[in-house]
Amino acid sequence: MSSDGNPIPDGEAGFSTPVGSRRTFMGWVTSGLASLIGLGLAIPLLGYMISPALKRRVRPWVDVGNIGDIPPGEPKQLDYVTTIQDGYVENRSHKAIWAVKHPDGQIKVFSPMCTHLGCGYRWEAEEKAFKCPCHGSVFDIDGHVLAGPAPRPLDLLPSKIENGRLLLVFKEFKSGTSQVVEL
Amino acid sequence: MASRIYKWLDSRLNLKPVERTLLDEPIPGGASWIYVFGSVTLFLFLLQAITGMFLALYYAPTPDHAYDSIRFIETEVLFGAFVRGLHHWGASAMVVAIGLHMLQAFLYGAYKPPREAMWMAGVVLFLLVMVFAFTGYLLPWDQTAYWATQIGINMVGTVPVVGDFMMRVMRGGETLGALTLSRFFAIHVLFLPSLLVALIGLHLFILRRVGPAGPWTDARAKLGSETFYPRQVYMDAVVIFGVFVVVAAAALAVPFPLTDKADPSDTTFVPVPEWYFLFYYELLKYVHGPLEPLATWILPALVIGIMLFWPFIDRNPARNPIRRPVALGSGVVFLVVVLSLLGLSIKNLYAVPRADPSVARGKVLYGEFGCAGCHRIHGAGGAMAPDLSFVGDTRPDREWHVKHFKDPQSVSAGSFMPKFPLDDRQLDDLASYMLSLKKAP
Repeated sequence: MSSDGNPIPDGEAGFSTPVGSRRTFMGWVTSGLASLIGLGLAIPLLGYMISPALKRRVRPWVDVGNIGDIPPGEPKQLDYVTTIQDGYVENRSHKAIWAVKHPDGQIKVFSPMCTHLGCGYRWEAEEKAFKCPCHGSVFDIDGHVLAGPAPRPLDLLPSKIENGRLLLVFKEFKSGTSQVVEL
Repeated sequence: MASRIYKWLDSRLNLKPVERTLLDEPIPGGASWIYVFGSVTLFLFLLQAITGMFLALYYAPTPDHAYDSIRFIETEVLFGAFVRGLHHWGASAMVVAIGLHMLQAFLYGAYKPPREAMWMAGVVLFLLVMVFAFTGYLLPWDQTAYWATQIGINMVGTVPVVGDFMMRVMRGGETLGALTLSRFFAIHVLFLPSLLVALIGLHLFILRRVGPAGPWTDARAKLGSETFYPRQVYMDAVVIFGVFVVVAAAALAVPFPLTDKADPSDTTFVPVPEWYFLFYYELLKYVHGPLEPLATWILPALVIGIMLFWPFIDRNPARNPIRRPVALGSGVVFLVVVLSLLGLSIKNLYAVPRADPSVARGKVLYGEFGCAGCHRIHGAGGAMAPDLSFVGDTRPDREWHVKHFKDPQSVSAGSFMPKFPLDDRQLDDLASYMLSLKKAP
C-alpha cells in the first residue's frame, strides 16, 4: 500500500507500510507534535516581533533650570538637552520651552510649537503676546488664542518645582486640531 | 476542509505523484530510531534559520550598536532572551545532531559506494556549520566574542606564506573592528545560508538517487523495505519534538548572558570558546614553539582532508562493523582523543578560580559613582587622586578600605575624597573590587 492507500504497483515485492489504525495513529502523532512545535515557536516569535511596536516611550522628568532665573510676568525661553531613547540608540536632542512665572509664583510651561501647524513662536515684549511668524497666530501670556488660525490655546507641559529647580516632561502634540492629542 | 483544498489543488496540479515520491521512499530493512539524526539536523537548521531571521529584526552589525542591540533584545523585547536562547542552544544541539548523524553513517558504512558523494557533501555541510558557529560567535560584540574571534583569526595567521594575507582578508583590514563585524555578519546571514541550502539540496538529491543505505547485514536488508511515511516520519517527529523541548528548556532555564562590551584595550580578558571548539583549544595548550603550526593548521587540515576523502581511503567493501576492524579502530581512536581533550578542557575550566561576583558588583559601583573621575586604573580615569591599578597590593587590608569609603578623612588625613552613600553590601563589594586590583591574580 502506498501513502494514499492505493495498492503498490507490481514488481515491488517486500515493500511494506503500516495500514489501518496504526497508520492513522502515527499520522496523528506526527501532525500533533508538529503543531505543538509550531505553536511553541509562533507565540513567542509573534510577541517578539510585536512587543516593541506597542511600547510607549517613557518620558522622564527633566531639569530645565533655576526658577529664580525666570522673571515674574515675563515669559522666558529655556533651552535644555534631553536624552531620547530610540530602541537601543540614545540620542541627545536639543529642546526649548517657554516658561511663564505668575506673580503668585506659579509657573506655566508651554510647548514651543504653535498649535496651528507646529512652527516655533516668539514672545513680543512690546505687544505682550506670543506671535507665530508662519501664519500670524497670536496668543496671550496664558496661551489663549487672540488672533489667527490657531485652533486651540498653547499646549501646557506637565511641570513641577523641586528644590528651586523647574522640572518638566517634554511631550509633543498633534497640530491643527481643536482637541489636545498627544503624539 | 484541508483535505478538500488538497483535492481541489490535486485535481489541477496532479499532486499525487509528488506525494508518492516524498512519502513512499523505501527504507531498506524498515524504519528505525537510529535513522532519525539526519531529520533532526534538518529541523535544527530550520530552527536556526527562523530564530536567526527574528534576531535580525533588532540586531545592528556595527561596533557602535551590536552590543546594545543584543542587550535590547535580551532586556526590552518580549521573549527576546528566549529567542536568543533558542538560537544559542539550537547551535549546540545542531553540532550534537551532526556528530551523531556522522557517527551513524560511519558505523553503518553508509559512506561506501555508491554513496561517496553523499558523505562528502555531508562533510562540507559539517564544515559550513562550523563556519556558521565561528562567524556567529562574534556578532554580540561582547568581550567573549571579541577575544575568542581574535584568537581564532590569529591561528589562521600561523599558516605559512598565505597566513598573514588570509588573516587580513578575514578581518577586512589590519585589526578586528567594524569591517570584521560587518563581513562576519554578511557571511553568517547571507552567504552561508545560501550555500548551506544548496548543499542540503545536493545531499538530499543524492540520497533520493541512491537511496538510504539501510542495515549493514544483507540478511536484514532482505527482509524488505518499508515506506518512509508513516513509521519513519513518526519516529523522526517524536525525536524532533524531544529535541525541541530540550532546546526550549535550555533557552528558558540556562541564560546566556552577555559579558562586558568588547574592549580591544583590555588584554586581561580570558575568552572561552564554545564547547564544541574546546577540544581544539585544549590541544593548543600542549603544542608549543616550532611545533605550534602542527596544531594550528597542519593537524586540522589533515583531519578535514581525511574526513572528506574517507570513502576513498577506506576501500574495504564490507559494511558490517565486525569486518572493518581498521576503520572502526581509527574511528574509536579519533573519538577517544577528541572526547578526552574535551573532558580535560572542561575539567581545567572548572579548576580556574571563578571570578568573585562581589568583585564584578564592586566594579559596577566604581563606574556608577564616577570614581574614574578622579582615580585611574590601567590608564583609564582621572589623575587627581591615587592610581588604583595595583591598590590590592599596596593596601591589602579590607577593613581599611571599608573604613575609608565610610569616611575617607578618618584613615587618610587631608583627603579630599567625598563620602559616598554606600550600604554595607556595597561597601563590601567595592572593597572586594579594590582588593582584586593586583599585579598577579
